[in-house]
Amino acid sequence: MTLLLAAACRPMHLSDLGNLARVIWQFLSLSLFSLGGGNTLLAEYHHLSVDKFCWLTNSQFADLYALAEAAPGPSSMIVGLLGLGAGWPEGPFWALLSGYGAELAILLPSTLLMVMACLSWRHLEHSPWRHAFERGMGPITLGILFAVGLKILRTADTGRDGHLSLPGVLVSLVVCVLMLRTRISPLLFMAIAGLLGAFGIINR
Amino acid sequence: MLQVALSAFGGGLSAWSQRIVVEQKRWMTDEEFLTGLTVARLFPGPNQINMAVYIGTSFRGLPGALAALAGMLLVPFTLLMALGVLYFSVHALPAVDRVLAGVVAAAAGMALSMGFKILHEYWKDPVALLLAALVFVGLAFGHLRLVPVVLVSGPIAMAWYWPRGEASR
Repeated sequence: MTLLLAAACRPMHLSDLGNLARVIWQFLSLSLFSLGGGNTLLAEYHHLSVDKFCWLTNSQFADLYALAEAAPGPSSMIVGLLGLGAGWPEGPFWALLSGYGAELAILLPSTLLMVMACLSWRHLEHSPWRHAFERGMGPITLGILFAVGLKILRTADTGRDGHLSLPGVLVSLVVCVLMLRTRISPLLFMAIAGLLGAFGIINR
Repeated sequence: MLQVALSAFGGGLSAWSQRIVVEQKRWMTDEEFLTGLTVARLFPGPNQINMAVYIGTSFRGLPGALAALAGMLLVPFTLLMALGVLYFSVHALPAVDRVLAGVVAAAAGMALSMGFKILHEYWKDPVALLLAALVFVGLAFGHLRLVPVVLVSGPIAMAWYWPRGEASR
């Protein structure tokens, strides 16, 4: 199955600069669709980097997601890691350039819009557009977040044989419940699950 | 900003930045800060980053926003890039892969909890639940892409929730 998947996904060969430009363009055009924080875009990131352009394998994507969640700073910095992965075959210099470029690209449009919003907030605050947007986008964000959660779950807990790993799914469900019911730091869950992985209880 | 960003392990950022921006540095009032949170959540882009943009803009406009962004991101992002380089260098080692297999299962649990966390806000609104369900099914099972889904469902939802004046409520 792995071989089959690997064979199905062939990265298109572009020049170094062409690849960089494509990375930047893809993230620029997604930026304004990051509703309700950056996490609504995670499934799109997966689609781009695993299915469409073959920058990463399924498990690499899951690893990078975990890395971005565990590291300090906003977890939306995963985009930089995806850029890094996209440029990795071209050597560290292009990889880093692509990482920084990807992060700038995803942030630039939303930042410019945010600046304009701040400067004109007095006019926007009581506008019907604002109320409709705020109330209307909420349910859509909710639907997207559930779809993203399911996508990440499938990505993370699918073994190299293409089947869902039962211990992995169980750990994910337990962590999900604990995230909702307690205020324990997710880093602790990751550390414990990492140990379970080291002892071979969770594998892929 | 840097102090705030570095202490933001896994969320809890807004409480921290409020303490620094409002209480310690007295850069803005509590009310201005809360307005900022509203705007940051409303507009696209990561909330914490939008908040930094808001604080920066209230000082100096666009240059202030860029300075705040740089201050908030440069160090954590460079750190993350270093981790990324390390990851791509060693991820093929079997020991590393085994540990990561566990870590990603926990991380997936975090991702799964995001929707449940805000579900209660919509519990009493059947139209919202229906919209959310349609979006979910379209994305998860209909293999639709996010951009067209938002472009179609967004205007429909906005039309439904368009403020209708006090009389008709």
